[in-house]
Amino acid sequence: MTLLNKNAYFFLLPAIIYLAIWLFFPLLNNTYLSLLNAETARSRDYFFVGLDNYAELMKDKIFWRALLHNIIWVILSIFFPLVIGLILAAILYNMRSRLFYASIFFIPHTFALIITAIVWRWMYHPKYGLINQTLDNLGLGFFKMHWLGNENTALVAVNMMGSWSYYGFCVLIFLAGLQNIDPTLNDAAKIDGAGPIQRFFKITVPLLKNTFMFLVIWTIIGSMRFFDLIFVATNGTPNLATDITGLYIYRLIMQQGRVTYAGTISVILTLFILSMSFFVIKNLMKEND
Amino acid sequence: MTSYKKYLNMIPIHLVLIFFAIFALIPIWIIFISSVKPHLEVYKNQIALPEEFKFQFYQILFKQGYYKNFLQSFYFASLTTLITVIISTLAAYAFAIKIFFGKTFLFVLVLIGLMISEISIIVPVYIMITDLNLQNTLLGIIIPQVALGLSFGIFLLTTFFKEVPKELIEASVVDGCDDKKILYNVILPLSMPSIKALALIEFLWAWNSFFFPLVLIQDTQVMPMSVRIIDFMGRYLFNYGGIATVCILMFLPIFILYLVSQSSFHRGITLGGLKG
Repeated sequence: MTLLNKNAYFFLLPAIIYLAIWLFFPLLNNTYLSLLNAETARSRDYFFVGLDNYAELMKDKIFWRALLHNIIWVILSIFFPLVIGLILAAILYNMRSRLFYASIFFIPHTFALIITAIVWRWMYHPKYGLINQTLDNLGLGFFKMHWLGNENTALVAVNMMGSWSYYGFCVLIFLAGLQNIDPTLNDAAKIDGAGPIQRFFKITVPLLKNTFMFLVIWTIIGSMRFFDLIFVATNGTPNLATDITGLYIYRLIMQQGRVTYAGTISVILTLFILSMSFFVIKNLMKEND
Repeated sequence: MTSYKKYLNMIPIHLVLIFFAIFALIPIWIIFISSVKPHLEVYKNQIALPEEFKFQFYQILFKQGYYKNFLQSFYFASLTTLITVIISTLAAYAFAIKIFFGKTFLFVLVLIGLMISEISIIVPVYIMITDLNLQNTLLGIIIPQVALGLSFGIFLLTTFFKEVPKELIEASVVDGCDDKKILYNVILPLSMPSIKALALIEFLWAWNSFFFPLVLIQDTQVMPMSVRIIDFMGRYLFNYGGIATVCILMFLPIFILYLVSQSSFHRGITLGGLKG
């Protein structure tokens, strides 16, 4: 077998070079950039300013508000798509038609997020939108609202769009997780007289904990990716009530030309995501021992 | 009687499932139906069938040259997929089959790569692409897109390649196969479904990718479909039918791919997810 172990680096080289130049160098370079600043926005004559950008960041209310929205996004996503996905997967698990339903639930995930944002914006339209019209038809007209225009509902309304595209993905992951569970456990519990709801909480939920935690990490990373959705749906309006960190970075680069400050935010975010993920993974490993 | 009762019990469960299936499909239905409605009918009832089917938007869009952006999307997604699959296959072969110095360290780097998104590298990438004068070129968005997809590719294929029976590989070594032969004649034929799964997912990601093209491409002739839609919306804010048509055109290829190869999609998504 020693023969086989030769040339390993030959096969790894393209990947190592590529990732080094285009993924890890940018990560390090980002950190370096965050210590620089330019005399005027858009000028490329950077000079060293130490931790000035970080000091500014600490006092930057727009950033903290945007980060808070990212965190709210993750929490909302854990409540709706993850929990719904878990319940749907538990229902589907024993059914013959499970692939049929899972495939339908997954279709929204193949929808580009920008298209999702466009169509949901129409559905939320205060006058012509499906949601308000349905409320009217059900005699619930007093619930009608300008969902995306109201500071109190906008973030939840946008998160709903994200949930729509995400729950089918959760169903698939949970279904795969359920397939790893020993079916005799469920049968034994059935014989012992445990009802379906009891079995769900006593067997399914505890055994799916790893899968659940994986999805939590995925959701944290994904909350940064929902830039597309919010950019098209509200672009941060009303009054920055739906602003997220990604949007803020975009504005800093494209509109204000404050590239190094945008880099500073991206450093903090990367550290935030990595540490959250490691925290979750570490807890997982501890409990698995 | 018990079976009758059993069916009765299943009714609420099916109602829940049907509810969520409708929930999944309604927005897609709205986009589709709006694209074939006469202009002002979208304001009446968003889910109703049109009184008369009109395909005027499809003709207009073709005349205005939107098929070019469609092709750009296609080149962008295909090339990204191709490069990602090739580099991942080579690296995954080493990770799955070989023992070498620094393996754990390098694999941890790949895992960290899984957690990096556009936001983490956009600033340096923006500067690098500008310095290389690759703004407004396809290559300028292919390069960073591959960088993001590569970690996932290596991770997924390593998982899959490890499932190839060790005995098979050992036997091939005894028979005098070199790396090239093992990869081509043993691993690849057995792992074709997995590579297909990876290719589909990378294609989907690149096709729907938005952030890099948005920041790195301003020329409407070079834009992939995803960014062109935004440009279109800026110009024809209230032309719902036109916007819906562009959206459908962008979604259709993905939808067809999904219909014909669902199981590959599912395989890639779930296995990539679970082993993490």
